[in-house]
Amino acid sequence: MASTASDRSFAALTAAGALVVVALPFLGNDYVVGVGLTVLMWLALTPSWCVLSRLTGYVSLGQVVFYGLGAYLVVVTWQAVPLWLAIPAAGLLAATFAALVGGPALRVRGPYFVILTFGLAELVKFSIMAYEAASGMAARILFGAPDLMVIYWLMAVLAGMSLLLLTWVSGSRFGHGLRSLRENEEAAETLGVPVERYKLLAFVLSAAIPGMVGAVMALRSTYFVVGQVFDPMVSVTVIAMALIGGGDNARGPVLGVLFLALLSELLWAQAPLLYMIILGAILVVFVLLVPDGVIGLARRLRRAETLA
Amino acid sequence: MIDTLLSGQLLFAALVTGSLYALIALGLNLVYGTMRMLNVAHGDVVMLGAYAAFWAFTLMGLSPLLAGPVVALMGAGLGVLLYRGVFRRLLAGVTPSTAGKIEGNSLLLFFGLSILMQNIAALAFTPNNRAYAALGEVYRIGGVAMTGNRLAALLVAGGCSIAAALFLSRSVAGLAMRAVIERREAASIVGVDVDRVQGLSFAVGFGSAALAGVLMSMLEQFSPFSGFPFTIAGFIVIILGGLGNVTGGLLAALLLGVIEVYGVALTSANLRSVLLYGTFVAALLIFPNGLIARRVMAR
Repeated sequence: MASTASDRSFAALTAAGALVVVALPFLGNDYVVGVGLTVLMWLALTPSWCVLSRLTGYVSLGQVVFYGLGAYLVVVTWQAVPLWLAIPAAGLLAATFAALVGGPALRVRGPYFVILTFGLAELVKFSIMAYEAASGMAARILFGAPDLMVIYWLMAVLAGMSLLLLTWVSGSRFGHGLRSLRENEEAAETLGVPVERYKLLAFVLSAAIPGMVGAVMALRSTYFVVGQVFDPMVSVTVIAMALIGGGDNARGPVLGVLFLALLSELLWAQAPLLYMIILGAILVVFVLLVPDGVIGLARRLRRAETLA
Repeated sequence: MIDTLLSGQLLFAALVTGSLYALIALGLNLVYGTMRMLNVAHGDVVMLGAYAAFWAFTLMGLSPLLAGPVVALMGAGLGVLLYRGVFRRLLAGVTPSTAGKIEGNSLLLFFGLSILMQNIAALAFTPNNRAYAALGEVYRIGGVAMTGNRLAALLVAGGCSIAAALFLSRSVAGLAMRAVIERREAASIVGVDVDRVQGLSFAVGFGSAALAGVLMSMLEQFSPFSGFPFTIAGFIVIILGGLGNVTGGLLAALLLGVIEVYGVALTSANLRSVLLYGTFVAALLIFPNGLIARRVMAR
């Protein structure tokens, strides 16, 4: 187990972070709240991804599909279904989609699962694009979307849910089961871990919050384009954030999100290509040199220190 | 409608697409086969090859057929460079227990490379679509109209794929490559220089992808981001055709060409990507273990 001192300092940091999240809308202007919203969005997406991909080792490169489905649902039902119903429904839609494709998809392992999830997300994207084109809806405009503050608070709730979900799953019996199947799926099954059921449950859990995140983010821009809410770079960014942080619990994703979200805020608007190049370089460098992320690196350094 | 479907014109188009896919899958197959690494940046090498041919044609007036061999060599050079600089190191630490992790990690590594290539290309060449007109003269063979560039693409891609099949089945280096693909440890024990074989696979893999890019650039417009669908097409071909099996790959590539060309003719051009990704997802769900299970079945 990690040292209790770092646990305590992390708890203090978490409390400080929560305070910043609550205080931000009262102190900052729209720009600052917008940046905060972006950070919260990634904080809601990345821990959800970790529930499946960090704990089981089934790396999903298709997390954006849930986000996109959620956004699409809200846009399609705009002004027909009230938001308090549409947002949970978006989560339900994403979870249902995961439950339906999870059965066959989770039989595919290793690198094949990675590209399968990517292919699935692209398939859904292109199918909806073809459908929209056939029905003459290239883009939609949302009138009367709620205020930025409302979106911010909704996202703060989702980010909190996502972090709590990962913390809870990671420490639970279920989470230990997931980790055991990451190490050796056959052995875990022999020892009585209900592998199929656990994998599917983790997949469904990792889908629900991103569905709602997509639903809320669709309200942020009044102009809706299918290709944008199914942008594969969302999935890549989530992986990069988790990879930078490392570790099985909520700590790693938080570090990765803060670092990359701020970097993207600095670069995205002025130099999007440069930002993407840095993102690609981060993937390469971390896979090659720091495969356990910053958390793993810190642990290794600490161990080296104790030995010395 | 029926007339169009039965005409030789569509069949010719399917053959051209299929032969291009066969050439693309060939390189992907060798790199995956010898090293068990899914090169998701493969299509981006195709894209870079297309740009090389585009610049050679527009700046120097060089015919893509002449640029082809040069670009292929440059691609091979890039492959060797990447192998020596990056992947040899990654593979050196592989033991059977860490093999799965390396596979997953190498995929993220290639994905990072893919993002790098796409965005550096977009920075250097602008993200706009590019196209040029070369070898546009029309030949009529048996009532089918064929432009010179399509005919050239079919002949070069088909010829290279057949040559590769012969290389793998007849030459000593090809046999060594197949030995590594089928049983890496055993091959190394009987004296195959696995390191050299892997370097060669990277060279042939990247070189053939760059050549495929040259051919592709004559047929359709492309941008820095048009590489990925070719990677997916390559994956479909090796999943259906079999690992290290160039003949099976040739057949699978033609099948994919037929699915894409006839599928689009029957529906609409909007559905091209849906067809491609749909076939891909279906192929993986039908063969959930990718290539491994099929090798066991074949034994």
